[in-house]
Amino acid sequence: MHTEGISTVSELDVEGVDSSIFGLDLRVPQNQGHFEVELPASRPAPAPSARRKTWGAWRLRLERISGVALLLVAWELAPRLGWVDRQFFVPPTGILRELLKTAISGEIFIHVGVSLGRTLAGLVGAILIGIPVGFLLAGWFPKAARFFQPLLKLFGQVNAFSLFPLFVLFFGIGEIAKFSIIFWSCVWPLLFGTIVAIRGVDPLIVKTARSMACSNSIFFRDVLWPAALPAILTAVRIGAMTSFLMLIAAEMVGADNGLGWLVHNGTINYQMARVYLAASTTAALGLGMQAILNALERRLVHWRPAPTSI
Amino acid sequence: MSATATTTRRPLTDRLLDPLPILLFLAIWELAPRLGGLLRIFISPPSEVVSVLAKMIWNHELFPHLGISLTRAFSGLIAAFLVGVPLGFLLGGPFRSFQRVVRPVLSFLGNVNPFALFPLFVVLFGIGEVSKGVMVFWVCIWPVLFHVTAGVEGIDPLLIKVSRTLGCRPLRLFRQVIVPAASPSIFHGVKMAAGSALFMLVAAEMIGASRGLGWLVWNAQLNFFIPKLFAATVTISLLGLALNALLGWVERRFFHWQQA
Repeated sequence: MHTEGISTVSELDVEGVDSSIFGLDLRVPQNQGHFEVELPASRPAPAPSARRKTWGAWRLRLERISGVALLLVAWELAPRLGWVDRQFFVPPTGILRELLKTAISGEIFIHVGVSLGRTLAGLVGAILIGIPVGFLLAGWFPKAARFFQPLLKLFGQVNAFSLFPLFVLFFGIGEIAKFSIIFWSCVWPLLFGTIVAIRGVDPLIVKTARSMACSNSIFFRDVLWPAALPAILTAVRIGAMTSFLMLIAAEMVGADNGLGWLVHNGTINYQMARVYLAASTTAALGLGMQAILNALERRLVHWRPAPTSI
Repeated sequence: MSATATTTRRPLTDRLLDPLPILLFLAIWELAPRLGGLLRIFISPPSEVVSVLAKMIWNHELFPHLGISLTRAFSGLIAAFLVGVPLGFLLGGPFRSFQRVVRPVLSFLGNVNPFALFPLFVVLFGIGEVSKGVMVFWVCIWPVLFHVTAGVEGIDPLLIKVSRTLGCRPLRLFRQVIVPAASPSIFHGVKMAAGSALFMLVAAEMIGASRGLGWLVWNAQLNFFIPKLFAATVTISLLGLALNALLGWVERRFFHWQQA
């Protein structure tokens, strides 16, 4: 019985992870196993002086920045020196100028705000449906979960893009269509992730709590929820990434504001600086979202080391 | 390890129940448009979808699109594998300074929304096969790269220290210790990349293409030919399921010794 549960978990796990777009999942190993060339003994044993320590810290910082700096310099110089076509490769200063221009007119803030609002709406909707349904299916109705699993897998596999025209047919090109596209693509990773999280809870914990005659509410609040939380947060992370990904696509097809629209508009008007600006903004927002999720994870599951994000 | 064994040993009644929810869903899907009035315009029942699919296969319409989509997906995926695996080994390996220099750049690039880059790829590489290949490559490289890096970093240091103590030379260490230890993670990255390859390809083909499954969806929508839209959607979903099943089988078959 127990092993059977595990086997379905691994199946579902595969499924849930596959619905993600970015390479973020539970199974990224903890970043402890750096293998080092020199063995510890070959290092200078005495503690480094304070001066050397600050130099080491500075060097680390310098190394971290140098890659980005090199890239920026090369990117700035290449179009200016005529190595690449300046019309296609807008140098960073050109992007900055565009950023300033749109910031002064306030345009960029509107687009970012609208895009963030749409992402959050879709994500929150998916969280509000996916996590409770996952809890119900895996925690209370395991038979129903097993029964519906093939169907859910099938739905999770339906590419949101191929549903895109259908959503537009049903809901028009308004906000509901965008919401439903984001919702659809986020809800499956969240649902599967929650189911996997609950099935992955150590049966020993569950049995112990049960044999101590733990009431349902306490069992949920103090046992099941904290035990499943790390994996659920991973599912939320995947959902957030997916929602952001789908948002740009949805806005490119039918919208009159937002970052996706900025890309689309920049392309058809041949203003490459706007496209580059929108692309860099998406990257910055993506990194910001990851940082927020990391902080959330550290706060909520402080007993577990945070996953490495490269 | 015993996971595959127990799935095959599940009771027969249980396994017979497996397709039941799908059949139920198909029945509802078939009946709902036939009974309801307005829905019929938007939703074609499965029987109609199957007949359209059969007609498209008969007309030699479906397979060329399927073929071109698969070719694009695979060429991009293979390119991503060829670049991502060596780079991932470098990033996970012992070159600490190199990692500190390169990682922030990659982390920024990996976070750029691929859709925002599609127009740039079109401008840079045209609307032909190259730009589609580059799009798939761009989407696939990140999961491969990150998983290879994580796989190499996650190798138990004990394994490496023991091999070194036993006098293992670097090349042999790499071939017989590092590669096998990292291989499950590498495969996992490839699996995720394959999933996103198909996913993004459909999007790319919907945005700008004249052939392929994504174009088929797009074209059906433009002409308001709903049964064809459903037929293309079903084909894409089945393709995704088949790919998943195949890769899952390969993983169980070859990496069963590794606990995920």
